[in-house]
Amino acid sequence: MELYDIIFYFFAAMILVSGFVVVGSKNIVYSAYSLLFVLVGIAAFYILLGADFLGVVQLMVYVGGILILLLFGIMLTNKVKGVEIKSDSNFVIPSLITIAVFTAFLLFVITETNWLEITPEFVQTTVKSLGIELIQNYSLVFEILAVVLLIALIGAATLARNDNKEN
Amino acid sequence: MDLSYFITSLTTIQPELMVSATLLVVLVFDLIFKQKKTFIPYIALAGLVATFFFLINQFGISQTAFITSAEKQYGIFSLDPFGTFFKFIIVVSSFLVILMSISSSEIKNVNSRSGEYYTLIFGMILGMMFLASANDLILIYISLELLSLSSYVLAGFLKKERRPSEAAMKYLLFGAISSAIMLFGMSLFYGLFATTNLNVIASLGSVSGMETITLTISTIFIFAGIGYKISSVPFHFWTPDVYEGAPIPITAYLSVASKSAGFALLVRFVRVGFTNTTLENGFWILLEGFDWQLFLTIIAIATMTIGNLIALWQDNLKRMLAYSSIAHAGYLIAALVAFNNESLLAILVYFVFYLLMNFGAFYVVMVVKNKHNTEDINDYDGFGTTSPFLAVVMSFFLFSLAGVPPFAGFIGKLYIFIALVDAKLLVLAIIALLNSTVSVYYYMRVLKHMFLTKKTDNSKTVEVDLFDKVVLLALAIPTLVLGLYFSGVVNLAQNSINILGF
Repeated sequence: MELYDIIFYFFAAMILVSGFVVVGSKNIVYSAYSLLFVLVGIAAFYILLGADFLGVVQLMVYVGGILILLLFGIMLTNKVKGVEIKSDSNFVIPSLITIAVFTAFLLFVITETNWLEITPEFVQTTVKSLGIELIQNYSLVFEILAVVLLIALIGAATLARNDNKEN
Repeated sequence: MDLSYFITSLTTIQPELMVSATLLVVLVFDLIFKQKKTFIPYIALAGLVATFFFLINQFGISQTAFITSAEKQYGIFSLDPFGTFFKFIIVVSSFLVILMSISSSEIKNVNSRSGEYYTLIFGMILGMMFLASANDLILIYISLELLSLSSYVLAGFLKKERRPSEAAMKYLLFGAISSAIMLFGMSLFYGLFATTNLNVIASLGSVSGMETITLTISTIFIFAGIGYKISSVPFHFWTPDVYEGAPIPITAYLSVASKSAGFALLVRFVRVGFTNTTLENGFWILLEGFDWQLFLTIIAIATMTIGNLIALWQDNLKRMLAYSSIAHAGYLIAALVAFNNESLLAILVYFVFYLLMNFGAFYVVMVVKNKHNTEDINDYDGFGTTSPFLAVVMSFFLFSLAGVPPFAGFIGKLYIFIALVDAKLLVLAIIALLNSTVSVYYYMRVLKHMFLTKKTDNSKTVEVDLFDKVVLLALAIPTLVLGLYFSGVVNLAQNSINILGF
């Protein structure tokens, strides 16, 4: 599949380049914007792998939700009360070494392992089968996820609430 | 899974359902009766008592539940005596933590948010209880996240002060990274085995010559998540700061309940995922591919040594107890290295005693902090004469933590050494013994400050009110009595070493 490969490498290059910008840029707004390309690229990967639902979720949650919040956060807090947001890169050399070792490990793992191979078949949509798995076979996990969500909401509200007027 | 099977499976999670129900009741009660916040902890206690009875009903039952597909023999949830034993530990420590919270002045100061506080505690309980029974990587991950999310917020619950905020931030960052690493390890596992079920992983691991290096790396990645929960070296860096910054009840809770859930997960992961046969004499045969024995030996030695050595020069008691809890995690991992039923027995027995003595020590620290807002060891000078009751119960707990006979901690350590010597791991046993000798120093240092330092004008007095006295006695008396008459606990643990699937 010639076209498939081209698309894959296009998005892979996009993720890598913008990933470096996210980490390396001195300007935090640039970092946040390049994160957009990383997240969109990953959504494209999901779709290329046939996981259409995950791709859409990635777009909606990360690009549409978290990233926008992040940008708003930066815009609203940038230089509030004269405090500049630091976006320096510390420990460049140790982290480069760690990344190199980690990458070597992963390359070795990916190339040397006999992974269980499945012949790729492009199903129409994964939404239905995913829904059946979640609601039927993994219904317990699904219910616990509801509690996780509740706890996350309560926790966020607790931390963010302004208590000053009560005391 | 059809509906009727789902409903049958629900009977196996009655205690968990009770915890969820209490969570909701606490939340809704807080919403409706805004002025009656003092009732909330008692509702929570009632919910825990009910959960306790459901657990008693379940004790001794081995049953699998929530089987995801017809070919599988085991589901994602294992109800077995081993898990139930850990759930007892979790529920009892939750009971104690709520008693502590009622008495703690730190929590009283944020009374307006007590509804959220107890809701989050129940979130933790639910996560830990599912973790103790999780038999599937997906359930493991979700319950670990539930536990972590609640504990991040609780660690930073006193958000107006600097240290708690720092604690919550560190906890969150370390936690997010280690759970991401764990998830990555799980994805590699899925690539190797094409399943998330631990029993199926064990059955596949035994037949094919697995990719050793990939398996090793992914197992270490998964251990990163577990090691973070049990604060083993090298995943311990968050422990002292979080323990120091969190409110004392939460610190005690993290050091006992959260750690016990992590150990339940570790033991089940190794036992179900990596062993498939048990010899006549109780030894487990580990599968080829990952050298758990070597790996855990290194981790155990590093954990207890680093924990004990750094604890030596801590002047803040909460920090000292944090390092001591790292060291105790080291002893417990050492017990697991023996890989036999003895070691399981040792871990279970140890946790019962560890619960009593660690909660006791933190309770004393909390009583002192309530009165004088200090955790510094120098402020304990002369307690032996000014507040004898507190000094005496504290010495009970510290002797027990140090493993001095006739206190309970000694019996716990004894069983660990028996397990190690039984498995002919003499070097590890000697290192654990030396470590335990080192630990005597820093525990006794507190006693020296309390009893041998002369009373000065600066010496503080602490009057203990009745409520605290009762709770402290309820912890201190068993610490001594169970050290002398321990057969009941040992028998209970002996009946609880059955893990589903063997």
